[in-house]
Amino acid sequence: MNSNATTTSLGTGSAESSAPRRNSKRPKYSRFTQQELPACKPILTPRWVITAFLLVSVIFIPIGVASLLASRKVVEIVDRYDAECVNATTKSERVKYIQGPGDKTCNRTLRVPKHMKAPVHIYYQLDNFYQNHRRYVKSRSDEQLRDNHSASEVSSCKPEDTANGNPIVPCGLIAWSLFNDTYSFAINNRNLTVNKKGISWKSDRDHKFGKDVYPKNFQNGTLIGGAHLNSSMSLHEQEDLIVWMRTAALPTFRKFYGKIEEDLQANDVIHVTLKNYYNTYSFNGKKMLVLSTTSWLGGKNNFLGIAYLSVGGLCFFLAMLFSLIYLVKPRRLGDPSYLSWNRNPGGH
Amino acid sequence: MDLNNTGESSVHSDSIMHSSSRRSISSYHSRTSAANSVREVNFGDLGSRAQTYGSKSAESEGFGTSRKEINDEDARLIYINDPAKTNEKYEFSSNSIRTSKYSIITFVPRNLFEQFHRVAYIYFLAIAILNQLPQLAVFGRGASILPLAFVLFVSAIKDAYEDWRRHRSDKVENSRLASVLVNGQFQMKQWKHIQVGEIIKVTSNQTLPCDIVLLSTSDSTGVAYVQTINLDGESNLKSRYAKQETLSVNPEKENIGGTIKCEKPNRNIYGFQANMEVDGKKMSLGPSNIILRGCELKNTDWVIGVAVYTGRETKAMLNSSGSPSKRSRLETQMNREIILLSLFLVALCTIVSTLFGVWLARHKSELNTLPYYRKKTYADGHEEDYNYSGWALEIFFTFLMSVIVFQIMIPISLYISMEIVRVGQAYFMIRDPNMYAENSHSRFQCRALNINEDLGQIKYVFSDKTGTLTENKMEFKCASIYGVDYSNEAASEQAEQVGYSVQVDGQALRPKMKVKADPELQRMAESGKETHEGRQIHDFFLALAACNTIVPILMDSDEPTVRLIDYQGESPDEQALVYAAAAYGFMLIERTSGHIVIDVQGERQRFDVLGLHEFDSDRKRMSVILGCPDKSVKVFAKGADTAMFGVINKSLNLDVISATEAHLHKYSSLGLRTLVIGMRELNGAEFEQWQSSYEAASTALLGRAAKLRRVASNVEKNLSTLGASGIEDKLQEGVPETIESLRLAGIKVWVLTGDKQETAISIGYSSKLVTSEMTQIIINSSSKESCRRRLQEALDLSRNRTMGSSPIALIIDGTSLVYVLDSELEEELFLLASDCAVVLCCRVAPLQKAGIVALIKNRTDDMTLAIGDGANDVSMIQVADVGVGISGQEGRQAVMASDFAMGQFRFLAPLLFVHGHWNYQRMGYMILYNFYRNAVFVFLLFWYTLFTDYTLTTAITDWSSMLYSVIYSSLPTIVVGILDKDLSRTTLLKYPQLYGAGQREECYNPKLFWITMIDTLWQSIVLYFIPLAAYWKTIVDGSSLGDLWTLAVVILVNLHLAMDIIRWNWIIHAVIWGSIIATIICVIIIDAIPILPGYWAVFHVMSTGPFWLCLLAVPIAAMIPRFIVKVSTQYFCPGDIQIAREAEKFGSWNIQGGGGGIEMIPTSNFLQRQ
Repeated sequence: MNSNATTTSLGTGSAESSAPRRNSKRPKYSRFTQQELPACKPILTPRWVITAFLLVSVIFIPIGVASLLASRKVVEIVDRYDAECVNATTKSERVKYIQGPGDKTCNRTLRVPKHMKAPVHIYYQLDNFYQNHRRYVKSRSDEQLRDNHSASEVSSCKPEDTANGNPIVPCGLIAWSLFNDTYSFAINNRNLTVNKKGISWKSDRDHKFGKDVYPKNFQNGTLIGGAHLNSSMSLHEQEDLIVWMRTAALPTFRKFYGKIEEDLQANDVIHVTLKNYYNTYSFNGKKMLVLSTTSWLGGKNNFLGIAYLSVGGLCFFLAMLFSLIYLVKPRRLGDPSYLSWNRNPGGH
Repeated sequence: MDLNNTGESSVHSDSIMHSSSRRSISSYHSRTSAANSVREVNFGDLGSRAQTYGSKSAESEGFGTSRKEINDEDARLIYINDPAKTNEKYEFSSNSIRTSKYSIITFVPRNLFEQFHRVAYIYFLAIAILNQLPQLAVFGRGASILPLAFVLFVSAIKDAYEDWRRHRSDKVENSRLASVLVNGQFQMKQWKHIQVGEIIKVTSNQTLPCDIVLLSTSDSTGVAYVQTINLDGESNLKSRYAKQETLSVNPEKENIGGTIKCEKPNRNIYGFQANMEVDGKKMSLGPSNIILRGCELKNTDWVIGVAVYTGRETKAMLNSSGSPSKRSRLETQMNREIILLSLFLVALCTIVSTLFGVWLARHKSELNTLPYYRKKTYADGHEEDYNYSGWALEIFFTFLMSVIVFQIMIPISLYISMEIVRVGQAYFMIRDPNMYAENSHSRFQCRALNINEDLGQIKYVFSDKTGTLTENKMEFKCASIYGVDYSNEAASEQAEQVGYSVQVDGQALRPKMKVKADPELQRMAESGKETHEGRQIHDFFLALAACNTIVPILMDSDEPTVRLIDYQGESPDEQALVYAAAAYGFMLIERTSGHIVIDVQGERQRFDVLGLHEFDSDRKRMSVILGCPDKSVKVFAKGADTAMFGVINKSLNLDVISATEAHLHKYSSLGLRTLVIGMRELNGAEFEQWQSSYEAASTALLGRAAKLRRVASNVEKNLSTLGASGIEDKLQEGVPETIESLRLAGIKVWVLTGDKQETAISIGYSSKLVTSEMTQIIINSSSKESCRRRLQEALDLSRNRTMGSSPIALIIDGTSLVYVLDSELEEELFLLASDCAVVLCCRVAPLQKAGIVALIKNRTDDMTLAIGDGANDVSMIQVADVGVGISGQEGRQAVMASDFAMGQFRFLAPLLFVHGHWNYQRMGYMILYNFYRNAVFVFLLFWYTLFTDYTLTTAITDWSSMLYSVIYSSLPTIVVGILDKDLSRTTLLKYPQLYGAGQREECYNPKLFWITMIDTLWQSIVLYFIPLAAYWKTIVDGSSLGDLWTLAVVILVNLHLAMDIIRWNWIIHAVIWGSIIATIICVIIIDAIPILPGYWAVFHVMSTGPFWLCLLAVPIAAMIPRFIVKVSTQYFCPGDIQIAREAEKFGSWNIQGGGGGIEMIPTSNFLQRQ
């Protein structure tokens, strides 16, 4: 029998007699369930807007200037040699030349425009080469590269998985197409030493390319894609391969070739002897040799500086613009007279 | 309570065995052992006692099907008390119920099957399967299945939890105990073990475990009262009957045998037909002989019956289906945009595959020499094509692959996020103490979880009146007795609260409810019937106490010496009248089928109820024929004024009649419900004549109801007026305020009621729905032509109205609606109604309510909400876009059909203005944001594809692509969707006009979609091309740049969200910054796995300067346009929400009324202007 109900009288109710039991179903009060957690309610007031724009411009403009300065400090020599190093005009002739036998040595001379501080980085740059093509990036076997016992893990390496019935180490299109032009440099008949140690990532050398994995059956197929590997050197030491295997993100890319560990003086003339083996002619790819110093920003690239300056400048302009607007056309924030039903009373 | 000796009454039942085999015609003699203090008046051998419930059972007879022979094939045969034999041939379902869907074994397959009913999941699955084909494998196997698996897993956990709860409640239900006859003795047995054919005994206040056919009851007439509140929501007591032939059975002593042949289980709770054969006697059974599972036995000590339907075959279980699922407006609109997005997807895929085709054509001859393509393979010693199937197929595969890569353009995760967000929103709605009803202890209930955001866009509210606007608690206010008005308004202050009580056996009996009594009238009532006036008052209150179907129930109270009488009955008006009569010293103490006991001023008097003509909608009145202690026979009648003045003898006391009429007018203008009471004394001849015709009618086999009605009209004539009563239909708390707020919010409130026009209008006034300056247009026509004319006039009137003129209130009744709905007049009504400020529909049938809702719903895009509490509101609730049930007195039918249920009408204000507004704003923003979030990612992939020779290498690693919408960016949008709020509760409640934002679809519309998409395009360009330009011609490798893009996109989308967050509390802070940190951690973990190509890339790229510069420049440059647009719109064309936010922050709300400047227009002024 419900004792509560019996004491209820008509009309008056009995809210005052509410026993604790009565509240058992009542939702408990908490700031969370009431959605009343302490909160900050930012509002874009004119002051905030102008401050935000100014802040951005104050941060961005110096960064832009610094980037531009860093970029300007970088000295870069770029030499495109793919056309000049082939004695042919049509594509098919070039392809024939590059695929044919014979000496492919090519001499280039580069002038150092400005003093280049050591270390001078040597890159080769390829153009129109899609190292990010999905057929290409998938065609590798990381197990095989890492571990001597996984030599037969070649299922992902098609179409360069096996040759003459045996698995290829390193397998796959990437390794197969290894870049094989070589460069040597001389100033005034003095050969410059090119340091090719440490051009690859240490993490790759230590964990991705095994010390006991040696090239096997490599470039033994019908088609030769690129460089041959010294089969007595473990993959761990084949830094050109390691660099090449870290596939580029974009179709125009540079790869580390080596370092010249001495300063180059302005107006020095560098004689480059290069072996032009690599076939970029069949797909109209360009080949370039790049010598560059580095800065905190990497290579020479004005883009970021310009971008930062423009964004910073735009924000400064916007800050001015909004200040002007707020001065010319002020609006009291939270003014109830702007409410739709106050502006247009009774209007519907 | 006195119990009849079953043996004694069996003697009598034998004697009338011939009269009817159908009904428990109660020809028992009134040899009831009455309570000792009652002066027994016996009508001796007047023949069979008039059957109190005659017309009721006559109506149930109206089903008229019980005579039909039941086909053998369609029947189930039950051997009474022989469950083994009953179940021998067919195994009937056991009585255990299972509302749960799964068992441990079936969970995985069934749940998967159910989940894949959703189109979105099929899309997911198709993509995952496509990805498994070697030619198309864009992502790794594991990575591609992850999102689908995640989504399925989350849903499965949710389903499992819900099912576990159902399992638990099933278990509780199934292990309840019932008393079952086993080997000649009643033993307790768990519900789930009850079998068809078993004999079950149910005692008072117990719930029926299954559907049983009554054999006998504690009442000598075989009547049993049940409450069907769990079944059809009606709280009144209903009577059920045991067959006369089985009344005497005592199964514990004698072995009962027999068969019941009944129809197959069906879901009609009002129909049942069967034949029973006991001891060679054949009888037919109807709906009044069965009690259904879920009913509660009331006011009857015990019943014995045979289980006929058990478990899931019971009518209650067959009827338990959920409310129809509705889809929210926002989701419908969202699907429109999703189609656009899928067109974008197809466009992107077409561009990629076309460009690929062009490339293929141009490089056809070189394919084999390209180092990065290498069409041919020589691996097996001979030359063959590797992974190349001709240009056409290659293009086709490219297309499919791009679909796989760009799949998240269709934001599947959005569907899951929306569900989670809705659960979160529902949690907060349920936990809102402002929507907790103190009086009924009911919390807000969210029954539908997919239309939360619709609550923010309502434009029409259709409200039931009784129980919704009003409490459905009637209070006796005033009486007009013999032309004298006794309004106890003046006396109400010092009114006696103790209430009347009588002493019985040293115990005081007191009515449960106290009524404020007019002391003067009380004094006059006590003075007895010496004076003419006193006699009139005596008869008046006697009529109130006797002329009804109320059943008094005695209950213990806190004090041991006091017992309380609870009056239970079908009509709250009758309850109020009986309580009032009790307060004036006419206390109804006992009702059996043959007599009533009324304590008249301390003296117990027994009246024989010779006949009772129940209320029906034709006569609009009821009457009772009483045999009084002084051997006179009197007819008491009460009914609506129109119905009663027709049968009142106008020649008597003309001035009394006209005075009464004046009082009636006064009462109804106060908003009171009025009843007129009349009386006549029958002389011997009249009584004889009535009795014979009554008996003939109530035993008639055909057309009993009509015959009884004719008998009733013959006796209800030439009545003399006793007076009239005024009952107040109390408005619920806060109704006028809520209605005013709703109107202020631009919501049109329509009231649809079954009440008569005057009552409807008076409630309209008291609830401030109708105001005195409104022009009222009343349409109550009785033909289509006049209806058309009236509508036309009204339309002209409303059209010619000038701006300043008064608003129109339209009042239309159900009769006119019959001609209007489903005819060409609908359009005119719609035009008229949309011009009116208020629409009141009175005297409408339940289906008409639905018709009116549909009228608006079909002609406009406006969202409709229907709110009601009774079974008659169910159709309306189901038709409306949002159905709200009031979990109040009238039971659960409306609640079961509703999408949301709450305790009181006034909770509509917080529900719509606060939660609805928040839900809409949150959900609208969340959808747009999810579109943006996924599209920006897809565009990023698309731009990269253009730089990979159209070969769909992904810029971002497989795992990051898959985790993007699962970990990197999912939680912030969900949390913001649950927790962010644009305005505080106080502001929203104070200024209901702010609700307009949802009605105007300010948070989600095609314009916003396109703006978002343009913004997305810009952001994706910045996001892609800044790193591209910064890293062009550098030694950067794919993984490093991919990591940069991954981090940049995650930071960008999270900052984008951060920019739009309105309230930053610690949870939102944690989740936004936490997501960014989680992303960095995930990227680091992925790059720490040596087997993946991207090993250690993130550390290398982090050590370069451009990485950090890009990471800083990308979000800033990407968001500048959005920021400018946001600031400009907020400043130059601020919406109401924006102004209110500013006012909230800078406190200009508070200066309202403080003086100075333009203030918020107070709500009341606004109302007048409107």
